[in-house]
Order: sequence, then structure tokens, then C-alpha cells
Amino acid sequence: MKALKAVGKYFSNALIITELELRKIRHDQTQIWVRMVQPALWLAIYGLTMSKLSGMSSFIPANLTYLQFMTPGVLAQSALFVAIFFGINVVWERDLGLLNKLLSTPASRSSIILGKALSAGVRGMFQAVAVIILALILKVHLIMTPLSIIGVFVIIVLVSMCFACLSMAIASLVKTRERMMGFGQVMTMPLFFASSAIYPIAIMPAWIKPLAYVNPLTYVVEAMRDLLATGNLHTLPLDFLVIAAATVLFLVLASLGLKKMVS
Amino acid sequence: MEEKAIVVQNLGKQYPHVKAVDNVSFTVDKGEIFGLLGPNGAGKTTTIRILLTLIQPTSGETLIYNINTAKNSEDVRRMCGYVPQDVSADGDLTAYENVLISAKLYGMPAKERKSRIQEVLNFLELTERAHDMVNTFSGGMMRRLEIAQALVNRPKVLFLDEPSIGLDPNARRIIWGLIKKLRDEYNTTIMMTTHDMGEADILCDRIGIMNRGHLATIGKPAELKSAVGGDIITINSSNPNCFQKVKELGFSTITNSPDGHCDLIVNNGETLIPQLLDGLKARGIQVESVSLKKPTLDDVFLKYTGARIEEGDTYAETRRSRRAFTRRTK
Repeated sequence: MKALKAVGKYFSNALIITELELRKIRHDQTQIWVRMVQPALWLAIYGLTMSKLSGMSSFIPANLTYLQFMTPGVLAQSALFVAIFFGINVVWERDLGLLNKLLSTPASRSSIILGKALSAGVRGMFQAVAVIILALILKVHLIMTPLSIIGVFVIIVLVSMCFACLSMAIASLVKTRERMMGFGQVMTMPLFFASSAIYPIAIMPAWIKPLAYVNPLTYVVEAMRDLLATGNLHTLPLDFLVIAAATVLFLVLASLGLKKMVS
Repeated sequence: MEEKAIVVQNLGKQYPHVKAVDNVSFTVDKGEIFGLLGPNGAGKTTTIRILLTLIQPTSGETLIYNINTAKNSEDVRRMCGYVPQDVSADGDLTAYENVLISAKLYGMPAKERKSRIQEVLNFLELTERAHDMVNTFSGGMMRRLEIAQALVNRPKVLFLDEPSIGLDPNARRIIWGLIKKLRDEYNTTIMMTTHDMGEADILCDRIGIMNRGHLATIGKPAELKSAVGGDIITINSSNPNCFQKVKELGFSTITNSPDGHCDLIVNNGETLIPQLLDGLKARGIQVESVSLKKPTLDDVFLKYTGARIEEGDTYAETRRSRRAFTRRTK
């Protein structure tokens, strides 16, 4: 009973932190709109151009069109690109002294991290809506069942949380905004390119393939591709498990790092 | 023995290159305003952060209302309020939202929340601006909002880290008034740090003077000042044997210049001056001017640490307080 209460407290504290972040977004929505631009460009320019390459389709599994293949990749990319810089906010808040005050409340370190990660998840959802709407405007054929839509949004929230936690964990080590910008840049492209987001693993150079299989983003892309394009859900549980495990791991690391950040 | 609000015993905090807090012990009574006074880098903020469980000490023990801060950190945080030195109100939210989030994080029941938030906003005279964005606030208002956030939970102990840093004199007086009112009306125990002698003198019941991690001395401001010696009265007269007449009146002088100038150390200088002047007049001495200098905490600091308080700012501290200042004045 006591343990149950503690768990309830933990999650309610996390939700309060999320509420704090969401209230900020409500006051200034520009960031939400601006962040929709990049994934839109990937889909509308890169995607449309690449799909005209005749050789491309022969490498794409399950008879998908290139845009069908790529839309889940852009969804994953949009979540990754935003979440990976999330640590900058935390460094900024530490520099301002906001973090010290937050840590002086009864909320535990990891509930603060969880709450912040969840807010990154909500931000990711706004972009996902934009990408899906754009894909539908481009007449990309996507599987639109309640299950696939819910599944995709759960994964979007998870992947945003996963990389936001990774970013916060790194922030606690590098401690300055400038370095954090650098680390964000260094991480995004390798994570993106060593995944099946915009091309199948089969045609990657051999030395990258092992990296693609340990990259959480690959599992994110595959899960969403199964839900939205192929409809083949056999590997979905495995994908979920990998993403959830990575999220928990980074959550723990970021929580441990948070303590180091202020002392 | 009566339970103390705060007990600090042999506290130490060692950083790789510096001992920030070195074997510090003191207690704070319930309902007391206790000040840690010292230059930047003296270890005041580190001491407060250890009490608030933000930093683990390397040695010693701290208790708040008999609860060990290292062992039951969450319980301790629940009964304390904290106003950090840096700007800590969130500029991207309204004042009301800032207090609302604090109230929620301290687990205040939803029923009480609204009335309590209104009460603190009212107490800190922010009701009219409650729904304005905080990034439009002046430095003084922001400070008041931060105190409101710390108070919404009705903390037993309120920690104020440099409460008036970077504020203009008017805002500073308002904050001082509120701090006193808070103690008088709610009997909140207040522990604050400051490097401002005047602030410590006006607000604190007792003061601990810190320098380079050590607690140099502790006591009531008046006691500390009288320990430095008494008031200094300086008399200027055209009459060269002035000092002899002063001695005849039963005062001891510390300078005996034959040109009619003499300094004497006394207690309660302001009540002695009329008596002294009458006595000198009766002895035919023409006094041209009299001045009285009361000892300040600066003198106390000088006596116990051998340094003036302006010394000792580290680069990081200076940068931080400047930045806080520019943010407040924007």
C-alpha cells in the first residue's frame, strides 16, 4: 500500500513537470510550428525526388512505394532531431537556477527527468500529426486503423522520451550549452544514417549494418513501418521491447546525471 | 532540551580543489531569522544546499526539526522552502502558474490550492499581476514571486540565498519588510545568506560570520558589534588641553594630540555626548565639532577574519551575480 502510494506520487510528480513544460508551449507556440518545417521538407522534397529514381523501388521490401517506405522514417527522424537537443534546455535551466529550485521540491530526480521526457514526447506528437497529414496530402497510402494510429503515437512518445533522456544524460556530463549543441549534431546524423529511416538496411555498406541493428532508431522505424505500411506485425513486440528498454536505460542514466549537474 | 529548527554539526564539504565548508557547527531556534554573513565563496550557499539535500556533505550531520537531512531527504524538502540566489521564477509562465506548479509539486490538496495561492500572492502584493507573464516583471517583483513560490507550502523553514542581491534600494526595503512580516505573522524560521552587512544587521536575530569555509563567530548583531569595542566619539576643539579636560571628566581617550583633537571609546555614545559637552563647557573648553561612529558588522568581519568583506569573489560567483543582476534589471 505504501509502495503503491509512492509509485502514484512518482508519476503524479512527473505529470506536474510535464504540465509545467506544456504550459510554456501554450504561451509560445511558435516552436511547435517551426519544428514542423524540417520533416515536411524531408518528405515533400527529399522523398518526392528520391521516389523518382527508378532503381530505388527494387530494393524496397514488401512492394512499398518509396514514400510509403520513407514516411515512418521521417516520423522517427522528426522525433529524434528535436529530442536529441533536449538536454540544452536542462543546461539552460541549470544555468538560470531553475533546476536548483526544482530539485529542492519533494519531487524525486527521476520523476523530474521522466516529466521532462514526457513533455518531449508531447512535442514529438505535434510533429507526427503534421507529417501524417502531409503524407496523406501527398496521397501516400498509409494504414489508418485505430490500432496503427495509437501504436504510432505511443512509439513517437517513447522515442522522443528515449532520445530526450539520452540527451539529458549527456548534458549532465558536458554541462555547457555550446558543447551540448556540438554533441547533438554529432549524434543525430549517425543515428539517422545508421538506421533504416530513408533506405533499407540491405543496401547499406557492410560495416554499418551491425550499427544499424544496435541503433534504437532502427527499431522505431521498423515498428512504425509495420504499423503504417506493411501491416505485418510479427516483429512489433520485439521492436517495442528494444525501444522501451533503451528508454528506461537512458532514463536511469539521466536521473543519476541530474544529481551531478547541480553539485 | 527544546527541539531546534536547524542543527548543523561538524559539517564539512570537500571539493576536489577546495574545502568549501570546514567543520561548521551551529543551531537555529524556531521562529528565528538566522543569517550567514560572508563574502562570495565563503561556503554560505554550500551550507544551505546541503541543508536542502541538494548536495551531499563529506562529513558531519545536519538536522531540520530533528530529521536527518541526509537520510530523509524527501521529508526535509517537503517542509522547507527555498529561494535560490539566481533568478528561479520561470519567465515563460504567468505568476499564477509559477505558484500553481510549486503548490502541486509540494503535494498540496486540490481543494486548498486556489485559496492558498491567492493568499501568498496577496501577501507578496502580486495579486494584480497574477496572470501576467513573468518575463515582463521587474527584479523586485520576480523576487517576491519566488518568495511566494517558496511560501505556498507554508514551510517550517525558509531558506533565502542572498534575498536582495541585484535589487534597487526600494525593492530591497520591500523585501526586508516582507521577511520580517513573515516571521512575525507565521513564525516561520528563516535562514538566509548575505554578503551585505546592512541587510544582516537589519534583518537577522543572530548572525554567523563565515570566511573560507569556516564559521568565524556567531552571535546577535549588537553583541558582535560591542565585542569589537564601543562607539568612537571624536571631538575637535581649538583648545589644546582638551584631552586633559576629557580625562578629568572620567573618560579614557585613545588619541591625545595637543592640537585639540581627541578620540574616545565609549558605550552608548549618543547619550554620552550631551553630558560630555556640558562637562567640557563648564571647564571652559570651546568644542568646534563632535562626531560619533558606531561600529558596523564590517568592523566585526574585519576583526574576526582579518579581511574586508569585498574581497574574495571568485570569477564564477561574480559572473553569476552579475548575470542575475542584468536579468533582473532588464
